[in-house]
Formats: sequence, structure tokens, C-alpha cells
Amino acid sequence: MIAISRRQILISGAFLWLFAVVGTTLVAVTEFSTADAIVENERRVLLRNLLALLPADRLDNDIANDTLELPPSPLLGTETRSTAYRARLQGEPVAVIFNSVAPNGYNGRINLLVGVNVDGSVAGVRVIKHAETPGLGDGIEIRKSPWIRSFDGKSLDNPDAAGWRVKRDGGEFDQLTGATITPRAIVAAVRNTLLYYRQNADMIFE
Amino acid sequence: MSSVIVSSPYVAPGNTLKRLMIQVIIALVPGTLAYAWFFGPGVIVNIVLAIMFALTFEAGILKLRGKPVMPHLTDFSAVVAAWLFALCLPMHAPWWLVLTGIGFAMVAGKHLYGGLGFNPFNPAMVGYVVLLVSFPLEMTTWYLPGSVSGETLSLAESLAYSFGSADIGQWDALSSATPLDHVKTGVGQDIPISEISQSPLFGDYAGEGWEWIAFWWFVGGVYMLATKTIRWHIPASLLVAVMTLSLIFYLVDPEVYASPLFHLLSGAAVIGAFFIATDPVSAATTDLGRIYYGLMIGSLIYVIRTWGGYPDGIAFAVLLANMCVPLIDYYTQPRVYGEE
Amino acid sequence: MSSNSEITRNGLWSNNVALVQLLGLCPLLAVTSTVVNGIGLGIATLITLVLSNTIVSLIRGFVRKEVRLPVFVLIIASVVTIIELAMKALFYDLYLVLGIFIPLIVTNCAIIGRAEGFASRNPVGPSALDGLMMGTGFLVVLALLGGLREIIGFGTLFANAELMFGDGAQSLTVVLNQDYPGFLLAVLPPGAFFGLAILIVAKNWLDLRPAEKPEPAPPLPEGA
Repeated sequence: MIAISRRQILISGAFLWLFAVVGTTLVAVTEFSTADAIVENERRVLLRNLLALLPADRLDNDIANDTLELPPSPLLGTETRSTAYRARLQGEPVAVIFNSVAPNGYNGRINLLVGVNVDGSVAGVRVIKHAETPGLGDGIEIRKSPWIRSFDGKSLDNPDAAGWRVKRDGGEFDQLTGATITPRAIVAAVRNTLLYYRQNADMIFE
Repeated sequence: MSSVIVSSPYVAPGNTLKRLMIQVIIALVPGTLAYAWFFGPGVIVNIVLAIMFALTFEAGILKLRGKPVMPHLTDFSAVVAAWLFALCLPMHAPWWLVLTGIGFAMVAGKHLYGGLGFNPFNPAMVGYVVLLVSFPLEMTTWYLPGSVSGETLSLAESLAYSFGSADIGQWDALSSATPLDHVKTGVGQDIPISEISQSPLFGDYAGEGWEWIAFWWFVGGVYMLATKTIRWHIPASLLVAVMTLSLIFYLVDPEVYASPLFHLLSGAAVIGAFFIATDPVSAATTDLGRIYYGLMIGSLIYVIRTWGGYPDGIAFAVLLANMCVPLIDYYTQPRVYGEE
Repeated sequence: MSSNSEITRNGLWSNNVALVQLLGLCPLLAVTSTVVNGIGLGIATLITLVLSNTIVSLIRGFVRKEVRLPVFVLIIASVVTIIELAMKALFYDLYLVLGIFIPLIVTNCAIIGRAEGFASRNPVGPSALDGLMMGTGFLVVLALLGGLREIIGFGTLFANAELMFGDGAQSLTVVLNQDYPGFLLAVLPPGAFFGLAILIVAKNWLDLRPAEKPEPAPPLPEGA
């Protein structure tokens, strides 16, 4: 009896092992054959996000790989290291795109891509992740409303510090109907990113 | 259980539900009038629309279900539900908002569960929450009380607002956050409450206007207690919970946590305690259970107001407590005499 | 032994995974905010079902019953991982939308349920057919629910079709009413429950209609 059941256990175990090997092999083969395509896809999506802020004719470098690791910074709202992407044209710096965070959205953190031209003006802003109320605060998404474009071309002197607020607080930027906190958070985050750029411009393009 | 046998003649009890509902309606009148006094006749427009839509839905679905229509329409339960629902809406609301909300309240909240007496959730709150989640913009566009802005929309303007024949944007200047909302956003920006409450939105104790409306809801509540329309357990325990929690946190830091009086007199605490939480169908049914039920709603109201995503929390609190009613009732059944 | 037509009817209608067995509800409720999302997840589940049923049926003679469940899980997990990788390589944008719900197909009870309940005791042909029909039944419900929620929630149909069919498919998107304000409830999680309930009601209503044909009425839906 004991011998038989031990044999059965061995056979079953061997069978399970066999399937694990076959399954893992198949997955490994697939992974190997799709790896390039997946990396390419990830790069393409990243590029698409970056190029939404900078028209392709303004740069000729490989922006997705011309990166800079930035330490955590209160001005960027980051608590961990973040990546910045540098755009150049014929070797000359054109703009830099920061991963910024607006920490005080209505429902927590709002992740932004903020493009800053080399002269310190805003190239463009996009929201990449947020948890704002659907139907109210989500007007910050470009596919819901063009509001986020209102930063294009603005800089620390245009408008001045008092103007970098939503209209309800006496500034220049519209709030969204029914939502003031979300735009307020983003206006502050964009301005802080510009401040960060002014303080660190030398370091950013070495 | 033995029953006492009484010999004739008997007094006909009449339609007790109907009598109960009429008492509730009478009790609602002073608060409603105060509300309309401060915020304009738009309040009344909402109530009338909601009642008309509610009766239409009620009649339609009763017919579909093959039930007698007239007895149910005239027991006034739909009228009360519609009235309470309308009071939760912003004072100016487009007609389709009222229609959608009361439709959900009557059809999904009431009749899909089997009609009056079988609904586990408070229908008015079901309708309100559906709207709050679906149309946050329309549901959070509140207006200033007339005593602050100097004018409220006239009846004709309110009607024009409801039926979309007017450009709503022209009244933007009159729109405003509610006091609860104002405190919430202010505290979120680290503004001390002593500074927030300098705003003209605030009256002597709580929100301008709102504090008096709350007083008249209280008067209505006392009338219902006096006429034995409701019992004291739910309103008392609910208000005690709100007061106690807000007092504790107020004592910890009065610049971050609003005062107990503010919490009591703002938003829907009083009307919620007397009129909404006491809905006999969806509330707990034992005396002890009612106290737990009220405490639970009161605590949830404070938690949602203070740390939640919405400025006021009556509706969510009531619906969550509704879910717990079977459990509460199960554990608070009085022991049958002679049994373990 | 089930006949082919019976397998077909079981999968598509009378034992439908989503409407009758009520299995796989987590992805079903989570991703069906639009038709395209629904179809995307539906196709991934369909392929998984066909492959896992076929493989399980092929090996049903060799697997000892003590280890059959771990073996089934291995097979399903491998198939799902391969599909996930393929999707990342071919339909990356759709993958970004469906995200976590593709690997979660592994936990869809319908798949191990069919492996254990059908494929492990039937020949390859019927097993593959069963997988195809069960998967199609699931796919159709996902697409219907997605459509229902998309129409009510956004007032559109086939939005984001380019995620699946390439940029040319952008024109597939139908905007039913330009000024529709949107009904968020349908898009948010509660809308998924309401929508599924409506579909189940519709199916039961169709089943319970008095049959006009002389043949016996279709069987009542079995419990979940």
C-alpha cells in the first residue's frame, strides 16, 4: 500500500513539475519574443505624452532618453526621485519637462507633466494622474476641457505673483465651474515648478 | 403572547398611515417656509415638481404591478418622500434633475423592493445620492440667502431656471458654497476657522439663514414628538452623537474643527434627525435599536463632514445605517419572557 | 454526452457565464464602462477559455486527480500571461485601459469552472466548442453591458475604438447626442450593478414568456 501511494505521489509530482516547466518555458518564449515590441510601445506612449507638450519640430534629440534624475523637492511636490526630460535642437537646450505633483487636490495628489521652455515660460501642462471628482474636478483633463492649455506661454513675470491664482482668489486663471480647489492646486504646482526651474536652470542643462 | 380581548363597540382606527403622513407634512411646513423665506420661492418650485413627478411615477408603477392606485396615492407617503427629497436639492434645480432623482427614489428605491413597507433604504435618500454622484455640478450649485445677497430669484425666475428658458449664467454672482462647504475648503487650505467664519455666509451661530431654518425644523420635530408621530430615540441619539463628537474635536483644536453648535445648525443635521432618519420603514424598529441607529447616523455624519469627500453626509449616513438595520434589529430584540 | 447544439445553447444562453452562473463579475463590473473595453476583455477571456479548455481536455487522460487543480491553474496562468504579453506587444493602448484586469482573468472562476466541470471529462472537440461558446456568451454580455453604460453614461458608442482597431477606426465612434450632459452613475461602479441587473431581468423575462411553440418552456435559470 505504502509503496503504491509513494509511487503515485512521485508520478503526480513529476507531472506537476513537467507542467510547470512547459508553462514557464512558453511564457519565457513569449516574453522574449515580445520584449522589444513592449519596450517600443512604452517608449511610444512616453514620447506621445512628452510631444503633447512640445511640437516635434522644436527638438531633434532623443528626449525620452535624455533624462535627468531629480532629488525630491518641495517645489516639484515630489517625495521621491523624479525624472525630467530634456529637449534640445542641434545640441542647444530648448525645454525641460518635469514630473510635478500638486499635493493638495480635492482628492489628493495630482500628477502633472510640466514643460518649461529654456526662457522660463510654460511650454505646456498635462495631467497624467488624478482622483478628482468625476464631472467637477476632472475638467483638468485635456480631453474634458481645454482649461489646462491656459498655462501655455505663461511665466513667473507674466502674470506676476498675484496673478498666479484662480480668479476667485483674485488671480488670472479661470476656475472650473463648481470646482475651485483642483485648479487652485494646479496653478500653485505649475508656478512652483517654474520657481524650481529658475533656481536650478544651470544644473538642469549642466 | 396573549392578546387582550375587547368587546364591541370598536372605534375604527382609520387609515393610520395617512394620518401619520399628514402630521409629518404639517411639521414640515414651518421649516419649509423659513427655507423659502431665506432662499426664495425656488424651494417651493422644487417641492411642487417633485411631488407631481413622484405621484406620476407612483401611479404608473402601481398600475404596472397590478396594484390599486388610488389608496396608495392618497396615503401621502409618496408626497412626504418627494417633499423631503426636494428639500435636499439645491434651491434652484433644472426640472430633469428633479425628475431623475425622484424617479430613482420611487422606482428603484421603493417599488423594485416591493413597495411601501418593504424598502430597506430610505427612498428620498436613494434619489438624492444618485443625483449627487451623477450630477455633482448641478447638485453643488447653491445660492446665497437673500439676507446676504440682497435678492433671491423670484417665482418667475425660478420657474425659468427649472425649465431651462433662462440663461443660468446670469445668476452666477448669486451662487455660493454652503457654509459647511466653505468651512471644509477653508480648513483644507489651513485657514483657521475663526477667520473662515468672518465670511458673510456665517450668521450668529452657524450659516446665515441656515441656523434659523434648522430652528424651524426643530419646531416641526417637537410637534411630531408631541403628536407621537415619531419617537424620541432616533433624533435624540443622532443629535447627541453629532454634538458629542464635534465637542470632543472642538476642544482639541477649535481652529480646525468647527463648533458643536455649527455642526448642529448647519446643513441637514436637524431635518435629518427628525424627518429623514425617522422614516419608519427603513429605520430600526426596537427602542434600543433606534438608539444605536441614531448614534450610528450621527457619528457617520460627523465623520463624513470632517474627513470625507462631501461637505455634508446625511444621505450617505442614513443609507449606510439602513444597511445595518437588520443586524441592529436582530441583536436588540427584547427577550421573550420565559426564554433564555 | 452533450450534443454540439446543446453546448452552444448552454454557453450562449441557458447557462451563460455572466447572466446565469454570475461568474467573473469582478472584471465584468469593472471594465464595462465602454463597448470597446468590454469587447477587449471579452476577447481576452474568450481566447483564454478556448485554449485552457482545449489543453485541459487534451491532457485529461494523464493528469492524476490529486494534482489536477494545480495543473489547471498552471495552464490557465500560462495562457493568461502569454495573452497579456501579446496584448502589450500588439494593443498597448488597450492594455493601458484594461490594465490589471487582464492578469486577473486567471481568477475568473468561469475558466477553472469550465476546465474542471467540462473539459476534464469531455473530448477535445466539444471542450473547445464549450470554451468558445461560454467565452462568446461572456463576451456578448460584456459588450452589451459596455454599450448600455456607454450610451447612458456618455451618450456615445464605440468611443476609443482606435485602441483596438487602429487609428482608422476612430470614425466608428458614434456620438448619439452632442449636448448630452452625461449620466455619471452609469459610468461609475454602481452603474455596472444596475446594468447587469437590467440584463439579467431581460434574460429572465425572455425565458419566462409563455412559449408559443409546443415544445416545453426553456428551463428556469439555474442558481449561481
